[in-house]
Amino acid sequence: MTSAVDPSISIATSVAARPDAPPAPVKLKVEGLQFYYGQSHALKNINFEIPEKRVTAMIGPSGCGKSTLLRVFNRMYDLYPGQRAEGQVLFDGVNIVGKELDSTVVRSRIGMVFQKPTPFPMSIYDNIAFGVRLHERLNKSQMDERVEWCLRKAAIWDETKDRLNTSALGMSGGQQQRLCIARTIAVRPEVILLDEPTSALDPISTSKIEDLIDELKRDFTIVIVTHNMQQAARCADITAFFYLGELIEVAPSDVIFTNPKEIKTRDYITGRFG
Amino acid sequence: MEATMDGLGSAPVEPISKAKGTGRIADPIFVALLWGSGIFVLILLGLIIAELFQGGLPALQHFGLEFIWTASWNPVTENYGALVMIYGTLFSAVIAVVVALPLSFGIAFFLTEIAPQRLKQPIGVAVQLLAAVPSIIYGMWGFFVIVPLMAAYVQPPLIDTLGQLPLLGLLFQGPPLGSGMLTAGLILAVMILPFITAMFVETLESVPPMLKESAYGVGATTYEVYKNVSVPYGRTAMVGAIMLGLGRALGETMAVTFVIGNATRLSASLFAPGATIASAIANEFPEAQLGSLKLTSLLQLGFILFVISFIVLALSRALVRSRMD
Repeated sequence: MTSAVDPSISIATSVAARPDAPPAPVKLKVEGLQFYYGQSHALKNINFEIPEKRVTAMIGPSGCGKSTLLRVFNRMYDLYPGQRAEGQVLFDGVNIVGKELDSTVVRSRIGMVFQKPTPFPMSIYDNIAFGVRLHERLNKSQMDERVEWCLRKAAIWDETKDRLNTSALGMSGGQQQRLCIARTIAVRPEVILLDEPTSALDPISTSKIEDLIDELKRDFTIVIVTHNMQQAARCADITAFFYLGELIEVAPSDVIFTNPKEIKTRDYITGRFG
Repeated sequence: MEATMDGLGSAPVEPISKAKGTGRIADPIFVALLWGSGIFVLILLGLIIAELFQGGLPALQHFGLEFIWTASWNPVTENYGALVMIYGTLFSAVIAVVVALPLSFGIAFFLTEIAPQRLKQPIGVAVQLLAAVPSIIYGMWGFFVIVPLMAAYVQPPLIDTLGQLPLLGLLFQGPPLGSGMLTAGLILAVMILPFITAMFVETLESVPPMLKESAYGVGATTYEVYKNVSVPYGRTAMVGAIMLGLGRALGETMAVTFVIGNATRLSASLFAPGATIASAIANEFPEAQLGSLKLTSLLQLGFILFVISFIVLALSRALVRSRMD
């Protein structure tokens, strides 16, 4: 899957790899969501469903609102006055937009990995333990176990096990990004949001992250924003196409990339604009 | 459009071997002036150091290195030592930093993270204006406002309560005069606050937003992000800022002279009057006769202050810079 350069090949393989799977339960349900940056209307009446333990990709040209939607999911917009959301996002049926739920609770259930690796200025071990300590009281051996567990999950244990107490800032970019994924997993969220997680990485690191995403969807619901359509085709079960703040089309990835319903979607994925 | 060089002037083009460059005289003069400006600073600083050292040398020869740790300052017996002033300088500066530090942290974090846009500017400007208040004004304010307040409301209860404790009580002994080490330290704290705050703000603003969001992203609260991510990220620069504040507090003269009490006795108490190097020089310089042992001792004090400030400044610059790399 990593050698696929021609999109048609990767789509073919992804179709072959996924015979009609039974429909998964809905994890996140977006209902009538509007989002505003001050005066500007960034998301216009978004409605769609994100299935549990699947990879959902959000694609679209810059400024289309896909990253904004991601930031709504874990309430990151709370940090900035002037940004507000209307409508609902239901997490297992509970609305997470608005003030009913504490944002730290939402963020511990819905973790986020950013465009660039953002290791904290501390050791590898503490990078992982940081988030865990905020939510749980673990003794030393439990914490050791948790650190190993999530580093293994993030496929970076072998590279880090001998240097857990060295600074995370000394790792390579790809390692740092996998550490950030491990750090996100460590608090045992149910949903992981990935905001262009490979845009700052080289091809080899990128393919490692993509393999990792494939692994992680066994345990987690994954939402990934990407500019790389081949990546969406390779990794995602479902792809949603956004344009100018609107959701144009959402469908299984093999459908979107081979037979989209909307002309705009077709124009975008064939590279006519974007 | 046809573009030729014909219309640009009728002067024939000279062969390159005969062409003259422009600014053959003016430019070297300009460069020489720049050199001069640069070298001037070095010469000035060198002369000041040399002068101070030479002026203080007789005191050093007379008293030896003991001058530094001798606690007496007695014009009658002509027995001078720097210990009281060195102690006072360091003690008041440390009080200032200890008081200013939490406030600076609070203001800086409030300004960078919490303050709504409307409040940001007024508070930011107010902090900067604190730095613009002349130190003599702080001195008068300290003398007429803070000293009576300290004497009436702060020192008596502290002497009655904390002063009764063993060991810790040593810090809270003596009559409630109002002036003294603590008062000087408080005034100094207000004076160095804007500098430390400004550098903290700069450091906190340099923390990448994505890094903070990542911490929020695992469910951290504002305080947890501040404590575990923002501050560690800027730690060295912040220590540098503190040292810079310390450096300013060490050399401050006028305001301290007003409120420290100007006594050349050694005391552990926060309330006891004392002296700093700068305040001692300001007070005693007019009374020191040319060529007297007192004058040379004062100059030697100045040299010691210079050395202390230099060390602190060098440390702070090294720390601030190590962060930039």
